[in-house]
Amino acid sequence: MNKKNLTVFLTCALFSFISLGVVNADSVKIGFNVPLTGFAAADGKSALNGAKLAVEQANQAGGINGKMIELVVYDDQASPKQAVPIANKLIEKDNVKAAISGSYSGSTRAAAGVFQAAGIPYISAYAVHPDITRAGNYVFRTSFMGEVQGRAGAKLVGATLQRKRVVLITLKNDFGKSLAAGFKEAAGQFNVQVVNEYEYSIKDRQFGPIVAKVKADNPEAIYATGYFFTAGPLVSQLRAAGITAPVIGQEGYDSAQFIKIAGKASEGTIITTSLDRDSTSSETRSFIKEFEAMAGHKVDMVAASGHTAMKVLVAAMKKAGTTNPAAIRDAIAETSLVASTGTISFNSLGEVQKNVQVQVVRGGNFHYHSEIRDQTLLAPPTR
Amino acid sequence: MLFVELLVQGLLQGSIYGLIAVGLTLVYGLLRILHVAHAGLFTLGGYICVILTNQTGSFLLAVLASMLLVGITGMLIYRICYQPILDQPPFVPLIASIGLFIAMEELFRIFFGAYGLSFTELPLQEPLPFLQVSLKQAEWLTMLMSVGFVAILAFLANRTKLGLAWKATVTDPEIASSFGVDIIQVRYLNFFIGSSLAAASGCMMAVLNNLVEPTMGSVPSYKMLAIIVLGGLGNVRGTLIAAILLGIIESYGTIYLDDLLDRDSIAFVFLIIALMIRPQGLFQRT
Repeated sequence: MNKKNLTVFLTCALFSFISLGVVNADSVKIGFNVPLTGFAAADGKSALNGAKLAVEQANQAGGINGKMIELVVYDDQASPKQAVPIANKLIEKDNVKAAISGSYSGSTRAAAGVFQAAGIPYISAYAVHPDITRAGNYVFRTSFMGEVQGRAGAKLVGATLQRKRVVLITLKNDFGKSLAAGFKEAAGQFNVQVVNEYEYSIKDRQFGPIVAKVKADNPEAIYATGYFFTAGPLVSQLRAAGITAPVIGQEGYDSAQFIKIAGKASEGTIITTSLDRDSTSSETRSFIKEFEAMAGHKVDMVAASGHTAMKVLVAAMKKAGTTNPAAIRDAIAETSLVASTGTISFNSLGEVQKNVQVQVVRGGNFHYHSEIRDQTLLAPPTR
Repeated sequence: MLFVELLVQGLLQGSIYGLIAVGLTLVYGLLRILHVAHAGLFTLGGYICVILTNQTGSFLLAVLASMLLVGITGMLIYRICYQPILDQPPFVPLIASIGLFIAMEELFRIFFGAYGLSFTELPLQEPLPFLQVSLKQAEWLTMLMSVGFVAILAFLANRTKLGLAWKATVTDPEIASSFGVDIIQVRYLNFFIGSSLAAASGCMMAVLNNLVEPTMGSVPSYKMLAIIVLGGLGNVRGTLIAAILLGIIESYGTIYLDDLLDRDSIAFVFLIIALMIRPQGLFQRT
């Protein structure tokens, strides 16, 4: 074999290793698109670990009606460009019966349409954009829609914390924008006045100008959307400038990495999320324990969401008793089960309705702060 | 007061851009390579700094080691990646450089993990108030470094034999060579200095954000290109001034132009306007 042939051979071999995994004739395939490289790789890794744990647990308990679950994973780099061919590949080549998105809104939105058109059930584990479930009746979401969580943020600021003058620091992507939209929508209801709003890009880590301006605005609270890798530097720069107003974050902050990056400045940061670290629910407690043993690091919202989505799908496939996608879809729609992120059931649009957990950073860890139970406020749209 | 604070923040941001772009302009000035992988060396510098500071407890030692190691890596990149394709048209080394940069990002992720790294004990955080402006030690140091390094480079270039050889090689490699200048040596030295400046910039970025991550070079990778064009391609002083100007414009732009322009697009609008008025760049090549 000459050098060129060898290279081609090795490349092919490498790719088949990545995509095939273990092929087992007596198995059920579930697709999973997730960012494993690029800027969102950290969240992707957590989501995948959460989902893998759920698969492991289900397989140990006998799989789906005797058949082992096989997870077919593709790296979508959180990019819509990648997500569409991946969705097609999962449907046509891998012949999956259902799939889960462990990815961000952009890629999930793009893939949702493909799965809907093919009539393959698709669950979004933690992407927040409202249009995802609007792709059609085969698409579900087991986490909060951005607007819903934003509205919860407004209640937290206005009612729980009793702060009125608020500055918004908004991450300029689907995630940040839909959260900010929800916050602004409900702000009036809780007498919260948005003094100013600043936007930043996902690549920003230096917030000097915004921090200087926020300091001049002197708000009573700061509602800052972002992920742990933007929020960590942001919160520490806000505190370094001597700003003491409480910072309200969301599930994007929900990672031990946030506390590690911001250090002491993270103390007192309050976030809305779907995972309660101090939960008394045995489901949540056992998930946290098993996840941390398996992954070797602290649990985060993304891992819990990956686990929840997989658990919902596996339960529905068991209940359907067949691999017919339409039957699986109907079974998902009828879901009612307790997962690590709360009790999951869907409305007619495929959106979940559950309480919003409020956590605060204390002593270098997330802890229970309060819970938002307002069912009218938290109601997701039905169409 | 806000006006002054925004100015200071602009100077700070500009200094970071300056440190990284000056290294790039050195490479461009000599070899006419748009060395995008320079941003990968910036990231590598940040990683080495965090890892060594956490291991040894000394930030200073970590910065020096980082500059040395990244400088050597820069020379290796020249030897392995660029030297064999120097006689190709300019887009060939450019494509090689982009490929190398992407590969480096993924290698960082594989070796150091997707979550990024932080300091266990973050150094240089004490506030140092000066003329009503309160900045952290790390922020002062960043500004000092960019001006200091450019001053050292200017001294080397104008007052030493080595600098003369460098300038001669930039102006005309063949004539320089006929006068006994070892142009290969000058190229290695150039990559060493340029890359260690990228490392210094990466170290300061790491300490300012308390975070190094595989993709931290992605913004500098394109913004530094705009800066060196503005600075007059190969002009060290011009590059530093262009970087600081851009930092200041971005700082005010983030607050006052936010509805119109994204912060990252400001650099390019600035570039387009500047090149329409002065097609040769803000500053001449020296």
